[in-house]
Amino acid sequence: MRHRRRGCRLLGAAAGAAVAAIVLAACSGSTGGPGSSKPSGSIQKGGTATFALPPGAVPDWIFPFIDSAHSSIDNRNQFEYLMYRPLYFFGDNGQPVPNDSLSLAAPPAFSNGNKTVTITMKNYKWSDGQAVTATGVEFWLNMMAAEKAHWAYYVPGGLPDNLSSWKVTSPTQIVLQLKSAYSPSWFTDNELSQITPLPSAWDMTSATAKGHCETTVSSCPAVWQYLYNQAKQVSTYGNSPLWKIVDGPWRLTSYQTTGQSVFTPNKSYSGPVKPHLSQFIETPFTTEEAELNVLRSGQISVGYLPTTDLGQKSVIAGSGYDLSIWVDAGINYFPENFNNPTVGPIFRQLYFRQAFQHLVNQPEYITKIFQGYASPTYGPVPISPANPFVDSFEKANPYPFSVSAAKSLLASNGWTVHPGGTSVCAKPGSGAGHCGPGVKAGDKLSFTLQYASGTTELTQEMENLKSTASAVGIDLNLSQAPFDTVISTSVPCQASQASCKWQLSNWGGGWSYSMDHFPNGDLIFGTGAGDNFGSYSSPETDKLIAESDHVPGTISQVENYEAKNLPAIFMPKADYQLTEVKATLHGVTPQEPTFNITPENWYFTSGS
Amino acid sequence: MTAYLVRRCVQAVAVVFGVSIIVFIILHALPGGPARGLLGPEASAFQVHQFIVQNGYNQPLPVQYGRFIGQLAQGNLGYSYHYNQTVASLLSQDLPKSAVLVGLAYLVALIVAIPLGIMQAVRRNSLADYVTTGASFVAYSMPTFWLGILLILGFAIDWRLLPPEAPQGATVAAVLSHPQAMVLPVATLALVSVAAFSRFMRSSAIETLVQDYIRTARAMGVPERIILFRHLLRNSLIPIVTLIGLSLPATISGAVITESVFNYPGMGLLFYSAATSHDFPVLLGSTVVIATATVLGSLLADVLYAVVDPRVRLA
Repeated sequence: MRHRRRGCRLLGAAAGAAVAAIVLAACSGSTGGPGSSKPSGSIQKGGTATFALPPGAVPDWIFPFIDSAHSSIDNRNQFEYLMYRPLYFFGDNGQPVPNDSLSLAAPPAFSNGNKTVTITMKNYKWSDGQAVTATGVEFWLNMMAAEKAHWAYYVPGGLPDNLSSWKVTSPTQIVLQLKSAYSPSWFTDNELSQITPLPSAWDMTSATAKGHCETTVSSCPAVWQYLYNQAKQVSTYGNSPLWKIVDGPWRLTSYQTTGQSVFTPNKSYSGPVKPHLSQFIETPFTTEEAELNVLRSGQISVGYLPTTDLGQKSVIAGSGYDLSIWVDAGINYFPENFNNPTVGPIFRQLYFRQAFQHLVNQPEYITKIFQGYASPTYGPVPISPANPFVDSFEKANPYPFSVSAAKSLLASNGWTVHPGGTSVCAKPGSGAGHCGPGVKAGDKLSFTLQYASGTTELTQEMENLKSTASAVGIDLNLSQAPFDTVISTSVPCQASQASCKWQLSNWGGGWSYSMDHFPNGDLIFGTGAGDNFGSYSSPETDKLIAESDHVPGTISQVENYEAKNLPAIFMPKADYQLTEVKATLHGVTPQEPTFNITPENWYFTSGS
Repeated sequence: MTAYLVRRCVQAVAVVFGVSIIVFIILHALPGGPARGLLGPEASAFQVHQFIVQNGYNQPLPVQYGRFIGQLAQGNLGYSYHYNQTVASLLSQDLPKSAVLVGLAYLVALIVAIPLGIMQAVRRNSLADYVTTGASFVAYSMPTFWLGILLILGFAIDWRLLPPEAPQGATVAAVLSHPQAMVLPVATLALVSVAAFSRFMRSSAIETLVQDYIRTARAMGVPERIILFRHLLRNSLIPIVTLIGLSLPATISGAVITESVFNYPGMGLLFYSAATSHDFPVLLGSTVVIATATVLGSLLADVLYAVVDPRVRLA
């Protein structure tokens, strides 16, 4: 999941407003920190903690069966999950792994050669007194089967297409039969992670008519439509009896359409940790600057320090805050358009990608541009936070910064290198020492690179890359555009399509393994994958991805192959957030790399 | 007068219609499209396709525009997926809040600027005039965001007298229930407006002071207080009336920068967010509303001008 860092008279004036609109449009391993430190005072029962939402983030969708238009961190991880817990909660002590303690079911049992999965529910209860049963899981699976187009994370061939059947065998047990054997790790991390049990009370087709989606797939569209229509009535979120039925530690007691959300403890929460706070409030902010002003005045419990305001670090500390780094499980990269009719053939040459990667000075970017608040990316698996998937080969950085290595690679593959100018293909052809298939004599290493505007760090990175690339005769023509324009332009395409003119594109956010916790890059580097924006295609990569999906313990092979074969240009991944936590508030850290928050763990100590 | 009003109203409709066409065409000419812009790169090609079809973005532009106008004729401004609300709902929520913020700021600005401008005119080229003129230029040339931040630093962070952000209520009543939180945003906008209004008022008053009727009144021994309030003030206000009329669009469209600095979710920020997130329905809806306010404000200014100045006749 990718995120950005998650208005003369008459015609003249009116047209001016319109043009202005168009211009605008065109235009952790968390560190040990406050929460993890031992509180010096006594634990205080009650209190209100306020949580600053990222700029522009407005929780506006409450129904956990979320569609693409509403899927976001602020809706799912930091709003819905507070009330409606997923079957398997991801994020445990700062690692992107299942949290057995907070999950609604025991770890899944794989049998029959990994073709059968048995899920056993724990003893959780809905706030209406009903048990959270296997039927709630079946309710969800039935809805997935009936409403694939409305489930944001549906991937053709994935859940529920890869299930041959699912059957509730007892109130606490559901058995899934898979169409083929899958790696338990992949299936749990990418497929079971999508399930959120639903309450029986939601199996309705109107306020009074009962539905039967819990047991019958064909009944689900009417139920989904009813729940969807209810979820569209944003102003009712705070008082709708429907949404008050929760199994998570919190219930929404007040909601404003601006996004301000007030949660109070779910008194019947049956999880391991009951909320200490009496109130948890999410506060929306229009801009980072507005949040910083409130932070400096000390009127927020958990906020963030904008990276552009790092100079304020000591001032914020002086206002009684502790800094904690929130690292998400993600990688950063930008794609080359392998299908671009002009430069696609150049991008398809491994030696060129290797040379280009050698020009990315990740250590310097991290130190100088991100001031240390970033991690390197060398392949599909995140280097940070600590995780069980990363392999030593990828960690070692296969293509360290080296202008001379880049120059040598180009020169030895048929290019006449013109430092400070534009290198030219002198030896076209497919043989050793030639430019490679599809590259013609006289072709130049000159590319357009569109990147997202508004982020100082990204601008600095791109300027630096342009400068370094020119040392080996790679001419990067940089242009800026709003984030949305950049991601709208960088679409997978065929060479014959008009949309295939883009060459290099950098939206600046890379990819976060948020719902797909198994980091084998299948959704971003697999041939034909919807999020494979550069249209990278490698039979070997596809084979290894499929292997890691099905055979346990094989992820390192695809990881290392992708690290070597460079399906995109890897860049440093900025830390998700520099969180500022009131020194008197504890339990906030470690922050989970899955973006989930657990304010039930938070508590104030005396003196707050 | 009636014929004039009818003619202007017809012109207004034509202008709004033209603006909507221009905006519609330019929006759809932007690179990419609403689907990818809204759904983000997380969305698969399948999901993007679904969204495009479900929202009719795959149909020819004239068909899409016809649908938009058809909905508009029924009072339906569209639906924002970005906010999960109808555009009408968003506008009805944010427009009154912006109107309150900008309206209060203009009110405060006028209350201060009118006497200030007259004082500057009556005592022109005096020390008081130089000082207030200098202060006006300083305030007028100061970027709004900078002024806002200075006020926050002083009154919210250092002295802790006022909140650093505007009220967060979803309704005007909720906003007005925290008047202390409105002080800084209103002051920020008002300070800049005082500078502009007082300069207009000073110029107008200086022109009025040399009129024959002022000289005649003084020659007849009319007390200076009566001259100032009965003759000078009323006649000097005429250009200000025009300014008020032309302020209507600004009141409706909000103050992007001030709203941003003080975390005030009004029209300005709604418009900005929509522009940066390719939220076509909100952009189209708010543009139509702002365009309508612009032509109405202009019409209002002309009508008020005729009302307050008997020399002006509309035909």
